[in-house]
Amino acid sequence: MADPTTTPTSPAAPVSTPVAADTVTVTIDGKAHQFPKGTVLLEACNAVGANVPFFCYHPGLSSPAVCRQCLVDVKGQPKPVPSCYTPVADKMEVQTQSPRALDVRRQMLEFTLVNHPIDCPICDKAGECMLQKHYFDWDAKYARNDGIKVKKDKVVDVGPHIVLDQERCILCTRCIRVCDEVAKKHQLEMADRGDHEVLTTAPGHRLDNPYSLNTVDVCPVGALTSKDFRFSMRAWELTATQSVCPGCATGCNIEIHHSRGKIHRLVPRLNAAVNKHWMCDEGRFTYKPVQAGRLAAPFVAGAPVEWDRALDEAGRLLRAALDAGPAKVGVLFNAQSTNEDLHALARLAFEHLGLAKAYLAGVDEGWSDEILVSADKNPNRAGATAIGAGRLRTLLDLANDLKAGAVTALLVVGSDGVLGKDGAPGALPLDRLETLVVIGTHRDAVAAAAKVALPLAAWAEADGTFTNKLGMVQRIRAAVPPAGDSLPGWEILSHLARKLGATMDFTEARAVFNEAKQKHGFMKAADWGRLMLPVQLRFASTRG
Amino acid sequence: VVLGFQDSEDLIAPDLPTEPIPLNMGPSHPAMHGTVRMVLEVEGERISSADIQIGYLHRCFEKESENATWTQVFPYTDRLNYISPMLNNVGYAMAVEKLLGVTEQIPERAQFIRVIVGEVSRITDHLTCLGASAMELGAFTVFLYALKAREWLFELLEETCGARLTSTYLRIGGVSYDLPDGFDGKLRSIMDRTRVVMEDIGKLLERNRIFRDRMDGIGIITQADALAYGITGPVGRSTGLAYDVRKDHPYLVYDRFDFDVPVGSVGDNFDRYAVRVEEINQSMRILDQALRQIPAGPVMINDPRISLPAKSETYNSIEAMIAHFKIIMDGIRVPPGETYSYTEAGNGELGFFIVSDGTGRPWKCRVRPPCFPATAVLGKVLPGLFIADVVPTFGMINMIGGECDR
Repeated sequence: MADPTTTPTSPAAPVSTPVAADTVTVTIDGKAHQFPKGTVLLEACNAVGANVPFFCYHPGLSSPAVCRQCLVDVKGQPKPVPSCYTPVADKMEVQTQSPRALDVRRQMLEFTLVNHPIDCPICDKAGECMLQKHYFDWDAKYARNDGIKVKKDKVVDVGPHIVLDQERCILCTRCIRVCDEVAKKHQLEMADRGDHEVLTTAPGHRLDNPYSLNTVDVCPVGALTSKDFRFSMRAWELTATQSVCPGCATGCNIEIHHSRGKIHRLVPRLNAAVNKHWMCDEGRFTYKPVQAGRLAAPFVAGAPVEWDRALDEAGRLLRAALDAGPAKVGVLFNAQSTNEDLHALARLAFEHLGLAKAYLAGVDEGWSDEILVSADKNPNRAGATAIGAGRLRTLLDLANDLKAGAVTALLVVGSDGVLGKDGAPGALPLDRLETLVVIGTHRDAVAAAAKVALPLAAWAEADGTFTNKLGMVQRIRAAVPPAGDSLPGWEILSHLARKLGATMDFTEARAVFNEAKQKHGFMKAADWGRLMLPVQLRFASTRG
Repeated sequence: VVLGFQDSEDLIAPDLPTEPIPLNMGPSHPAMHGTVRMVLEVEGERISSADIQIGYLHRCFEKESENATWTQVFPYTDRLNYISPMLNNVGYAMAVEKLLGVTEQIPERAQFIRVIVGEVSRITDHLTCLGASAMELGAFTVFLYALKAREWLFELLEETCGARLTSTYLRIGGVSYDLPDGFDGKLRSIMDRTRVVMEDIGKLLERNRIFRDRMDGIGIITQADALAYGITGPVGRSTGLAYDVRKDHPYLVYDRFDFDVPVGSVGDNFDRYAVRVEEINQSMRILDQALRQIPAGPVMINDPRISLPAKSETYNSIEAMIAHFKIIMDGIRVPPGETYSYTEAGNGELGFFIVSDGTGRPWKCRVRPPCFPATAVLGKVLPGLFIADVVPTFGMINMIGGECDR
């Protein structure tokens, strides 16, 4: 081993880090650390692994210091201070695990538990409950009090998506702050005092803002529960896969919570640049279509067949149309597809087949706000536009071309929004087509009109990337197995290309991504990310 | 003299040279306990080489454990050495308790109960080994006698924990419930009757020519080999190694009992037989003392983070409800670290090397199966023996598939 005195980088050598003017030195549990001025003491403590518990503090919200669970000893202060409310100061000396700090925190827990109902077996939050976690970590003493618990209302319907249990509420006010500070709507309030204090809706209001389900996420206990998720699955049985919401062009980062091939809920995942800690209620229900009305097998002329036969038939039909006249063959891209599917389709259509007529479909525009919701309800219009590189025309152009007979054969990849919001045939005269091959996720009117319909894996079933409206290429991950026989788009297109005599041999989504990254400028900085095994919530200790 | 052998059968037809023939014993062979495969090469009746192939009873014990909470591993340990499951329970519980740092806080009564059910299991283990080996040499009566005594003990254990084999009786921090009423008297009566059985077995076997011919001087394991292979337990002691974890590294309350560690002198099959017979006697000696000394008191550690609260508490207080929930659903939280803990099981030093990452389930749960090295040495011991010696030699090693293959 090298002599430390001759090694300038040795940790034993004295380090002289210049202390910037805007940093302060704080001693936490006997060790000095430096933090930027204004850092909240709780964040400082937890950043250095001091492990201070909390209920009411939330990194995305203001701190009211109501739960008193983050009390720490600060030298010179007569009593423990709430660390979530205290900014760091220079030369502060903090004891997070002193007997007094541990004791007051334990007493606060005991106090919180006095009126807490014995609901764990029937509570949705059990298993990801912060009260359970903190009790077990910091208290773990049996009850000293066997008095009668205060009765409050159990099943209060406070909004379209949410049920409130006032007994379980530990009065942390996180939900009130989510409504006030994120949704900018004052819809929840505290009423009454002492052990009769309850959470309730503000007079004349219901909890019906478009971000209401975030209150369920931030609720440290099971006071606010989602009507959709309620009683559908125990939290600890869930497995989490990281993905991105396909609901609009914002591209909120999410976790897909699933169990045995079934998705049970979507929850937001922190991304400071996109959605912070939040997502809208609408986005949370984007998992529903993944599990309903799916095209589960390849269909030829309305009858389910094997993949081989369907691909042969699709190849034969398209080949015949190409031979008859490539100018009359069109391709329909979709802004719901991943960059990988779009790239594979662009390569097949433009490079291999040399087609000229390409169009872009997508779900119709909807409402938007200044918070998270975008009017463009497609997760990847930016990617589709960039990959199309000016060659993609609108659905209106397609309708005109169909009416004029300029397109007689069409390959559709992704049927979402092709027929407009109500899905009624007519807007797009598909019946004018001689050949219609559809690669789609659902058994909709487009698939019904197709000569060959090939089942496409939905967003939650495939690996890939979406490009949000800010141009960020974000990774989605397969959480559940594809419905029925469906396959990812790039794979179907690879098979189809072979039938058409083209060589496109993609074997994994990552290979498509790498090729697309070389080809398209907007993906230059994109990163496929590391391999991520699904996290079993039971052992993850991430939630509660 | 043909091929260097002096025996009579080799001289009967001195002009017929033998040819090496591969002979497959097992894995489906009535005497290959728990499916083991031996590929023997025989020249006439003589074994010239033996290849012992294990793994047919591999159940992914170690990997399965990584997906179960610390408590949920107990049923898996039952299936290690499945004729003395209590001893596996003891070994595993003590390993986790060592990592938790609560070894000293296990109530005394629980420690006595662990000794008692452990020693009862040791007797059932040895009885099975002796009975089965005798049966394989044609002594079916001995088998029935031994299994009769074993059944008395199994019934007693069933009364204690509800199962003959799959006991899952121990818990981290103690035992799941106290001994049943009248356990003391029943065990004493069973021991009296078992002593008679052991006498009968001795009379049937020890002067029996068929038995002695396959035992005396057969399957000799040298002390050097025993040390080199890491053989412990009755097989190791038969070679004269007086190593017994209960004596050399006393755990639980073993240091409070008078008992002897029998050792052999030759390391042959008979020594292994004799050591096991004597160990049954010594176990009964321990049981006698344990039954006299066992104190009253709780049988589970008093720590809400480890022991389940009483049902009445669980249903009537939120604190106990949460504790119950956390222990059942998330598992007992074992601090990060690793430890090796070892106890004397039926076949020798049963070791658990466990690693925790601080969650409620093992990050790694490695078992040192005591019959693994003893089975390994067979490849060295069998060559030179007759085919007929394989079964008794293998029987006296007492390889248990569940434990060896995990």
